Amino acid sequence: MVENAHSLNIAASLVLLLGITYILGPLYLTFATASQSYEYLLRSGLAWIPGDQLFNNIARIFTETRIPLQMLNSLLVALSQAVATCALSFLAAYAIVGFRARWAGVVFALILATIMLPLDIRVITTYQVASNVLAPVNWLLDATGLNGVIGEVFGAPLHLEWSVLNTHFGFIAPLVAHGTGTFLFCQFFRTLPADLFKAARMDGAGPVRFMFDILLPLARTPFAALFVLTFLSGWTQYLWPLVASSTPDMQTAVVGLARLSPDTDGAVPDFPLIMAGALIVSIIPLAMIALLQRYLVRGLVLSEK
Amino acid sequence: MSAASQALFANRWLPVLLVTPLALLIVVFFYVPIIQAFYWSFFLERPFGGGSIFVGWANFARVLADPQFWQAGRRTLLFMVVGSSLAVLIPLILAVAADRAIALSQPARNVLVWPKGVAGASIGVVFAFIFNPFVGILAPLNHWFPGIWNPGIDGTDAFITLIAAHVWGGIPFNFVILLAGLQSIPRTMHQAAAMDGAGPWRRIFDVQLPLIMPQIFLTLVLEFTESVTSAFALVDTMTQGGPGGATMLLVYKIYTDGFAGYDLSGAATQTAILMVFVILLTSAQFAFLGRRISYER
Repeated sequence: MVENAHSLNIAASLVLLLGITYILGPLYLTFATASQSYEYLLRSGLAWIPGDQLFNNIARIFTETRIPLQMLNSLLVALSQAVATCALSFLAAYAIVGFRARWAGVVFALILATIMLPLDIRVITTYQVASNVLAPVNWLLDATGLNGVIGEVFGAPLHLEWSVLNTHFGFIAPLVAHGTGTFLFCQFFRTLPADLFKAARMDGAGPVRFMFDILLPLARTPFAALFVLTFLSGWTQYLWPLVASSTPDMQTAVVGLARLSPDTDGAVPDFPLIMAGALIVSIIPLAMIALLQRYLVRGLVLSEK
Repeated sequence: MSAASQALFANRWLPVLLVTPLALLIVVFFYVPIIQAFYWSFFLERPFGGGSIFVGWANFARVLADPQFWQAGRRTLLFMVVGSSLAVLIPLILAVAADRAIALSQPARNVLVWPKGVAGASIGVVFAFIFNPFVGILAPLNHWFPGIWNPGIDGTDAFITLIAAHVWGGIPFNFVILLAGLQSIPRTMHQAAAMDGAGPWRRIFDVQLPLIMPQIFLTLVLEFTESVTSAFALVDTMTQGGPGGATMLLVYKIYTDGFAGYDLSGAATQTAILMVFVILLTSAQFAFLGRRISYER
């Protein structure tokens, strides 16, 4: 179709140029300032052209702050969150779609409800639960009167206590308790032809064999998409690692970065150092986006449908 | 595979076993905290395990009588409406532009998803610096007109900074969804409209936008929840709720009341109110807006 859309194309180019500037501008200014010295910042403010202090500032991040150690925390948390989300969501989705279970619809709805109320909104009581995960068991023991019996027989009622705060497991578990992955896999399984099942059964494959030998290899793309999506979300989490960690050595890099700017009354904070920190902390997820963009876009689109 | 139910496996306990790990996590870390928030909102909870007393609706009465709660509520609503409208409108314009076969389209599709890799807290730290009144990009403006820009003192300036950072971080998801919607419009639709004499500008409003209404609606719904719940990192790194409570959004108030003020009952009550609000909002959007949109393609 040949048609004169010149004015529209020019307008579209301008819009895209503005959009790209809006995204890259702050990133460029971060980079430029990270490569200047504190004295330069005091003298001329925000840097528009890069200087020669980038490696110096990065070296200071490595020697003066805990960000390197905190990046290891972030890496561990983001990786295990991604692996756990992929594995548990795959199993749950297979249970919901692959079997003739009457409860499947209800369980699916209960899992999906998690998307509506994110962790940030219920952080107070999630913190309380994480400080003693076994509290509901204690409550059940009390409510059923079982604890009275235990108290009579053993001399004291049972009171269980298990805090997951300030542990890597505690950072991950509340974030894995989320429905996006299950939703994504369910959507994918439903696109598979029913004949696949029949053929597998005719060949004598049981449900476990079917899962490992047929479903798992087929689901490589949704796996990759969900992995990238969850890794990025785990790396960029802020509120939960902030409240769930009580020592700087357990904090994640994003939390450590936010703690770099102290409340200096009147004095200008050491922005070149902070910007160098922002660069270092964002480098792993940005590299991941650059390399695995295909899967990220696929994941975003799949999680919507 | 859901189509033919006789193709499904009939095991009774295997699916239970498969769903248990995730279900257990969701019960412990999602449903128990939610129930506890509602439970606590009817009790006066003392910090450090000091016991609790049933107080009925007293917590709600106390929270609803607090002018700070209403101010935070209004701020949250304002942030939600302005923030999410812009966070959908700007990616929408960008997506319509990137859908055209022009040179910049490919680089734009690449660059516009980058913010997905930058944490909200990092965005906050960076934007707080860029809009710093003394060394940021608007510092020269202050040089000529002293005091015209200072997010540390002026509530409106602080709010604008917050919105700018929020929209920046929201671009990737909304852009990708809206662009995917635009690209799934069959070429024949464009051709038919062109035959009928609709120019390329007119087709944006008469063909493209009506056909991606489901995507616009979806991004708007998700963006509403997102803006109510996920502004915490931005507020904490940029303004800490100030100046004078201008950026004190409810999520941030709940955090400060609970973790700094040890007012567990008050925080739980506000959590309960906020959760009911989010649930009502989402249901209302699906009930009123969802019905008007034809999902036919």
